[in-house]
Parts: sequence; C-alpha cells; structure tokens
Amino acid sequence: MAAGYSIVGWNGFKRVYDGMLALGLSLFVLAHFGAGLLSAPAGQHPSEIQLLIRATGAAAFSLLTIILCIGPLARLSPRVLPVLYNRRHLGVACFFTALVHAGLVVLWYHGFSEMNAIISLLTSNPRYASFGGFPFESLGVLALLILFVMAATSHDFWNHVLGPRLWKWIHMSVYAAYGLLVAHVMLGAVQGETGLAQAALAGGSALLVTGLHVVAGRLEWARDRTTDLPPEGEDWLDAGPAEAIPNGRAVILVPPAGERIAVFREGAKIYAVANACRHQGGPLGEGRILDGCIVCPWHGFQYRPEDGCSPPPFTEKIPTYRTRVTGGRVFVEPVPQPPGTPMAPSMAGEAG
Amino acid sequence: MNEAMAGAIWLGLGVYLGAGLLAGLGVILFGLKRLAPEAGRIPWRVRLVILPGLAALWPVVLARLAGVRPAEDRP
Ligand code: HEM
Ligand code: FES
Repeated sequence: MAAGYSIVGWNGFKRVYDGMLALGLSLFVLAHFGAGLLSAPAGQHPSEIQLLIRATGAAAFSLLTIILCIGPLARLSPRVLPVLYNRRHLGVACFFTALVHAGLVVLWYHGFSEMNAIISLLTSNPRYASFGGFPFESLGVLALLILFVMAATSHDFWNHVLGPRLWKWIHMSVYAAYGLLVAHVMLGAVQGETGLAQAALAGGSALLVTGLHVVAGRLEWARDRTTDLPPEGEDWLDAGPAEAIPNGRAVILVPPAGERIAVFREGAKIYAVANACRHQGGPLGEGRILDGCIVCPWHGFQYRPEDGCSPPPFTEKIPTYRTRVTGGRVFVEPVPQPPGTPMAPSMAGEAG
Repeated sequence: MNEAMAGAIWLGLGVYLGAGLLAGLGVILFGLKRLAPEAGRIPWRVRLVILPGLAALWPVVLARLAGVRPAEDRP
C-alpha cells in the first residue's frame, strides 16, 4: 500500500516466480529458435537474426496470451490467484521481450539504409489501403507503444497518482494491443514465409482468450442475477439470510444503479462496504476477514470493515453502507457513504 | 504513408517524449513530495523506475501537480 515505496515488494515467492519466468522465457526462445533451424531444408534456413526475431515475437505474444487468460481463470478457480498477484511482472517481461523483437527488426531490416530506421519502417510498405498487404509492422509499433505505457505505469506509485479510474482505463487498453497483435501476426504470417500454421496459432490464441472471457463473464452474470431486487416501495437491498453468509466472508450485491457492494459477516456482526479495492479494483467481496480486516484477494490490501479505512500507516479508504437485519435477513441501503465513514455493524442475532 | 507523414510522426513522438523526459526529471527531483506525500522519502531506484512513465504521461502528472483530480478519486 502507499506507505513507502520500493521497486518491487520482494519476498521469497516473488523471487522464485521471477526466476521461473526468466527461465521459461529463455527456454521458449531457445526452443523456437532451434525448431526454426531444424525445420528448414538443409542449408537454406533463414538467418539467425531472423530466427531470433520470430522467436522473441512469438515469446512476447504467447506471454501476452497467458496474461490475458489469467484474469478469467482466476475467476473460475481460486488456485490461479497466486499467479494473478504477480501478473504485472509478466506484463513488464512481455514488454521487454517485444522490445527485443522490435529492436532486432529495426536494426536488421531498416538499420542499414540511409534513411532514419523508424521512418524507413513506417514507409517501406506503403500499402496502407490494402487488407492482405497491409503493413503489419505498423500494427506492431502501435501495440508496442501501448505495452510500453502499461509497463511504465505498473508501479503502485502510478495507481496512486493517476487514480484508480484512469489507471484501469489505461490498463484495459491491453485488449486493444492484443487485437493489434493478432492482426500483426496473422498478416505477417500471410505475407511472409511462415504461412498458415502461424496464422492459425494466432487465431487460436485469440479464440482461447475470448472464450475464457465469455465463460467467466457468464458466470459472473449468473451470480449477479441472483441478487434479489428490492420489493416495491422498498429501496434497501435484500442480501438474504444472515447465516447464508459464511463467517468471515461476504456476498456481493449488485444495486440497480451504482457500484457493487460486499456484505460481510464476522460472527454476529454484519458490515457492508464497496466491493472494489482502491488498489486495482480487485473484488473485496471475494476476499475474507483476517485479523479484523477485509483482505483483498488480489494483492492483499486491507480495510477495516467498520469504517472502510486501511489500518495505519496506510491511508486507503472505501465507501461503507448502512445495514440492518430484519427477521434474520440482511438488508443494505444502496447509498454509498463517503469513503472511510464509520458504520456500526448490525447484529445477525437481532430480533426485529 | 509517405515519408513526410512518417517523419512528422517520428518528430512528434520524439518532441513529446523529450519534453516528458525533461518534465519527468523535474518531477522526480522536486515534485514527488507533493504527488505522494504519504510515501515519505522515495529511494532513487524507484524514482528511476517511474521516470519512463513520467515521460509518457507527463501532461496528466503536471495536471495532478496543479491540483486537478477527478472527484471520485479524491482521498
Ligand atoms: C515496433 C514494433 C514491431 C515491429 C516493427 C515488428 C515487426 C515484425 C516483423 C517484421 C515480423 C516478421 C518476421 C519474420 O517473419 O521474419 C514480425 C513477426 C512477429 N511479431 Fe512483430 N513487430 C513489432 C512488435 C511486436 C510485438 C509488440 C509483438 C508481441 C507482443 C510481436 C509479435 C510478433 C510475432 C508473434 C510474430 C510472428 C513470429 C513468427 O513468424 O513466428 N511483434 N514482427
Ligand atoms: S486490487 Fe490489488 S490489493 Fe486489491
């Protein structure tokens, strides 16, 4: 959280994780390179630089595909959560791998001309009006710019300075980058010598990412549908029987308007807070209460359920909501109180 | 795309990022206390890590320094 910054909040797990990431990337590039050498007819394989360009491009693209699958997978199975915690390391690694790919292209194909290498890259294929012959390199340039902005703003400092909304908006542009890259790889394959297999692989990756998002989205939608709408004339939301909320956990309500609400039970005490974490919008209602604090399932930010404040020295605050228990059922007023407003819990055992 | 257009893009990007690098250097030297008061002293390694972002997003950061911040994000 925002008290004191370091480059990365290092711990043993992250070191192992990053070690495995570096090893995996190196092995991938080596294997791709080797396969390129061996699969070409004897004596006419492409130059080593060209093989390296393909291997690093494929590594960066595959890494981005994995990154985009992690989000929906974590919704389908909590076992994926530890990978989600450190997704930004994958993102930064993806950018640097893609940078090597692009750097080699610029040096190898455009570095020897009289012209500025970047201008040469943008103009060497002028068929911008053509579909199949479109200069796919330009799509890669755009995607690389997006990846750069995302990698450069992945530190928590940026979250804080930009605000959660703008930060999230910037990081959603990863989908635009991925779309551009799918086109980059497909057009590149069609125009180049790697051909249909390469295009099919890129198309398959895009289908996988889309499919997983659709499945996870439908699951969420089905969950949202189960929120009971308030009866006529009643504007408090019905969160169901108190004992149906597992101890230390929450149910998530979707008000007709406004943000989602997480309704927690801790013993007999019922609290309601905003569902979105101040850090990167993680679903607090999928977390649990530990040592008296709600812990975000994504990266572990903590909030006190009674006032929505992070424990000192941290300063994050989320909105709280009024609750009451009537006939054993929990009701929540869908009006967010200003972030950090103290709110006495209602008691699940209360008669009324 | 013709050469003039590509040249303009290249020049525009260079000027934008160059200006951002200058503004960013100013921010990591003098502006961090105001941007992230609760962070305390930010070590130099971290300042270097955020410099590329400053070069890319300097208009937003300067706006934040001038006190512009969307209402829902005010602490
Ligand atoms: C300035 C940006 C970029 C340029 C100029 C560029 C250029 C190229 C070129 C010329 C090729 C064809 C190589 C060949 O077949 O010999 C290629 C292929 C490829 N690029 Fe890029 N690229 C850029 C960015 C990216 C990025 C950001 C990614 C992924 C994250 C990427 C992924 C790929 C992939 C997967 C291939 C296909 C490799 C293969 O055929 O096995 N590229 N790129
Ligand atoms: S989103 Fe990162 S801790 Fe909640």
